[in-house]
Amino acid sequence: MSKEVVLDCFGEACPVPLVKAEKALEKLEINDILIVQIDHSCAMKNVPEWARKQGHNVEIEEIDDGEWEVIIEKVK
Amino acid sequence: MTTGIQRSSSSTRRSPRKKKKNQIPFAIGLLIVIILIGIWLATKENHQALYWMLGLAFGFILQRSRFCFTASMRDPYLTRSTSVTKAVLIAFAITTIGFAAIKYGYFIQELAIPGQSYIAPISIATAVGAFMFGIGMVIAGGCASGTLMRIGEGFWMQVLALFFFVVGSLWGAHDYGWWMRNFMLAGKRVFLPDYLGWFGGVLCNLLIIAVIYVIAHKYGNKKSESELQ
Repeated sequence: MSKEVVLDCFGEACPVPLVKAEKALEKLEINDILIVQIDHSCAMKNVPEWARKQGHNVEIEEIDDGEWEVIIEKVK
Repeated sequence: MTTGIQRSSSSTRRSPRKKKKNQIPFAIGLLIVIILIGIWLATKENHQALYWMLGLAFGFILQRSRFCFTASMRDPYLTRSTSVTKAVLIAFAITTIGFAAIKYGYFIQELAIPGQSYIAPISIATAVGAFMFGIGMVIAGGCASGTLMRIGEGFWMQVLALFFFVVGSLWGAHDYGWWMRNFMLAGKRVFLPDYLGWFGGVLCNLLIIAVIYVIAHKYGNKKSESELQ
């Protein structure tokens, strides 16, 4: 059973969400899912871009106006 | 965009889907206010309405494109991502041509070239200022335009950044004379067309930008290739 971790980065300015996501993802196993919650529009760009570049599966969901969840599935 | 990540129900429950407010009436109201202010400014002199429109267009493009000067300098270190860096370099190349065209237009009509007072002498003050600004903008999460844009988006933490940005600017203005006397006046004002001609100056600028672009492109691709193996 894969694990799911929610990382609350509301109110954190770029690049803090990215650095936190990087560290959190390191601790996870393959097939685990990391959900990064952000409300800083800049992180909306660099968090998914970084995760995709690393080769992970990424989905973005706007959960409210100006609040997003970046869902990252660790694949390797 | 869909990769089909299966989320367990527990996390979906943790973030309940709030019903989003309909923003259309607000947007129509704002548009009317913007147009009314524009009409009012048009009655004033000094191209006020034009500045109003250019400012709004700049902010809109900055927000929608997620353009960020801070990210262009920071992300290459952090994630080796150079996509924003390349976007900024393209913007610099376009403005190089645009500014040169404006200045050359004044030059051939033998009018005073606008903006020449902004050509600051090259000195250690430039390097010190750039270093301080670099640290500041990464901690604050945005440069001047980025900070303003994110306050507009409703990110309140950066109101604090704006406040200290104003404080810092005032402090900088206060000490500007000292830097001017001790460092900047020792430097040399370089206006490339004076040395290389108009065509040479533009070409020199564009070549430097092109070289940095190629380096940024190669640097950005390097890691992703080695990691995909």
